[in-house]
Amino acid sequence: MSKVAQLTKGILRENPIFVLVLGMCPTLATTSSAFNGMGMGLATTFVLLSSNVVISAIARFIPDKVRIPSYIVVIATFVTIVDLVMQAYATKLYESLGIFIPLIVVNCIVLGRAEAFANKNTIFDSLLDGLGMGIGFTFALTLLGSVREMLGNFSIFGLPIIPKEPFWLKEVFFHDPILVFVLAPGAFIALAYLIAIFNRFKK
Amino acid sequence: MAKVESNFKNMTATLLVITLVASAALGLVYQSTMEPIDLAQQAKINNAIKAVLPEFDNQPGNEAYSVAVDGGELTFYLATKDGQPVGTAVKTFSNNGFAGLIELMVGFLPDGTINKVAVISHKETPGLGDKIEPQKSEFSVQFEGKSPENFKLLVKKDGGDVDAITASTITSRAYCDALARAYNELKKGGKQ
Amino acid sequence: MDSKLVVSPSPHVHSGESTRRLMFNVVLALMPAFAVSLYYFGIGALFVTLLSILSCVLFEYLIQKFILKVQPTITDGSAIVTGLLFAFNVPSNLPWYIVVTGSLFAIGVAKMSFGGLGSNPFNPALAARVFMLISFPVQMTSWPLPIESRLKYIDAVTGPTPLAILKEGLKKGDTISQIADQIPSHLQLFMGVMGGSLGEISALALLIGFAWLLYKKVITWRIPISIFATIFVFTGILWLINPEQNADPIFHLVTGGVMIGAIYMATDYVTSPMHPKGMLIFGLGIGLLTVIIRVWGAYPEGVSFAILIMNAFVPLINRYVKPKRFGEEVKRNG
Repeated sequence: MSKVAQLTKGILRENPIFVLVLGMCPTLATTSSAFNGMGMGLATTFVLLSSNVVISAIARFIPDKVRIPSYIVVIATFVTIVDLVMQAYATKLYESLGIFIPLIVVNCIVLGRAEAFANKNTIFDSLLDGLGMGIGFTFALTLLGSVREMLGNFSIFGLPIIPKEPFWLKEVFFHDPILVFVLAPGAFIALAYLIAIFNRFKK
Repeated sequence: MAKVESNFKNMTATLLVITLVASAALGLVYQSTMEPIDLAQQAKINNAIKAVLPEFDNQPGNEAYSVAVDGGELTFYLATKDGQPVGTAVKTFSNNGFAGLIELMVGFLPDGTINKVAVISHKETPGLGDKIEPQKSEFSVQFEGKSPENFKLLVKKDGGDVDAITASTITSRAYCDALARAYNELKKGGKQ
Repeated sequence: MDSKLVVSPSPHVHSGESTRRLMFNVVLALMPAFAVSLYYFGIGALFVTLLSILSCVLFEYLIQKFILKVQPTITDGSAIVTGLLFAFNVPSNLPWYIVVTGSLFAIGVAKMSFGGLGSNPFNPALAARVFMLISFPVQMTSWPLPIESRLKYIDAVTGPTPLAILKEGLKKGDTISQIADQIPSHLQLFMGVMGGSLGEISALALLIGFAWLLYKKVITWRIPISIFATIFVFTGILWLINPEQNADPIFHLVTGGVMIGAIYMATDYVTSPMHPKGMLIFGLGIGLLTVIIRVWGAYPEGVSFAILIMNAFVPLINRYVKPKRFGEEVKRNG
């Protein structure tokens, strides 16, 4: 497989959300706005990238029976670093993502890539794989967040797409957004339709 | 190179090394982020106070005191400018929200009138109860400049002076409850 | 080998039933309730109902024709029933765009996404109603008052439903006897003189429709009666324990969506169990959940949530309570 394909497979062909359907918990819980989705995606990308590199470097020295605990320790270390750094320099995002930052530790994609890819490939390939998967994850979360924010809050990245006080009368057209999309059920509905559309165009 | 054998000695050594390196790395990061995190926390409190009080030049976070009341805690922040008190910010709460706890920051001027109210945290329903947030509706504006002495902190349905949020009477009641609690304690405290 | 699988003792006798005839009977059975609604809510009721039916049929046609690319089946009348039931479950002053969004949700998301009529796990009209309730909580819970609102649509005079008055009052710490004078009498409630969704108010009209459906054998008594009985017994027990904190069982039966939900929504063929015993379990579950939500839940009314939750259990009920296969020996008692 070429280096380019190694990188791009995570974005479309093996997109972690739309194709592998992994890591649903943060996907559904943190995408109430495009900004939150992107923040979560970037935090996960950092963890994915660093843990992939480190694990592919040390995998040879780890006895088989303790490989999972070892991987988890590596992943948890990077997650804690992200957690502390965000708390210090991105307080607002840290507050809106809340518990889901520490929960990156148990994100299926991170451990999944470590176990399925990084421990049997070279450092450089693992780096590309982690980066590609991270970009794919960020792309999916940002897209889902944008769709939900547009329908559920009438805005995108915080910019209103319909003025806060529209000039038309309340009776004539939407004044209030379709709230269900920023709530949990809306996450499932929006994700289901995005996967359906994605599959249709993948063929 | 052959894979490392899974015997007791190898496994212990590996885990030991990995955890040691990991904790060393974390210790380092913790050390270097401790100060920014503290600053960010302080900035958060200061911003909340700034949002509800007129301009001040002290560090209200350092002159705060807490009072335990109704199974919770009220925190009072005294703000001064050039040594003169400009008001007190009170972090107050109510457990009667539609979805439980609501935390507010209320700014009282020295004469006891409400300057402004900000929401610290709540879990109210989006589109209904979350209209207590100043950026989402005009609800909180009606309290500005009113003194609880002659502005009854009850919704109109209960015989008070507060216009409740449409279809969110419970949230509006909890909001008033939190404000009334802050005001009562402020008067009792007598530390104006 | 294939021939072994064919079971075909012809000639078959057609029962004369068709989807179209069933749907026609359901629409007919809903007419008394519609008449009451027109009498109390006037032009608002007429406008919302027509718009809802029209947009449901239109969305079904467009989705089948252009997205699924199959022969549209709007003539079977199921979209008309969905539209009618959705309209019956919303206030008569609902802005037009919410009615249209709800119709799109009912047909597009709750029905067509799952494969159209016969494949949807949830009742489309109810699913749409609940999603609109969550999305537009203010508009979906401002109920026009009957009679006063006859000639008004958007600017109707609104007030709370009896169930909302009850919940609000109890939450404030009042007792039932203190709240009682704000609530219409039982007879008024039975006739439908109260605020509420446009089709749910009159228990009398809905029961007339129930009799028609039973007479035409469109539905059996099992689901509605088991729901009524469960609600009656459960709220009866609560009432006997403490009549100052719990409303009486008759009040619970004639208010809110119990009648329309039990008779027209819970009995939807697609989303209810097949076996008579399964139907009783289904009804019991709806009754229990309704009372639990009404008495202890955050919302004043819980029929729609209860039916949707039990809809999700239907495959499980069908799995454990199976109808006898044709040709299998049926045990007779005594």
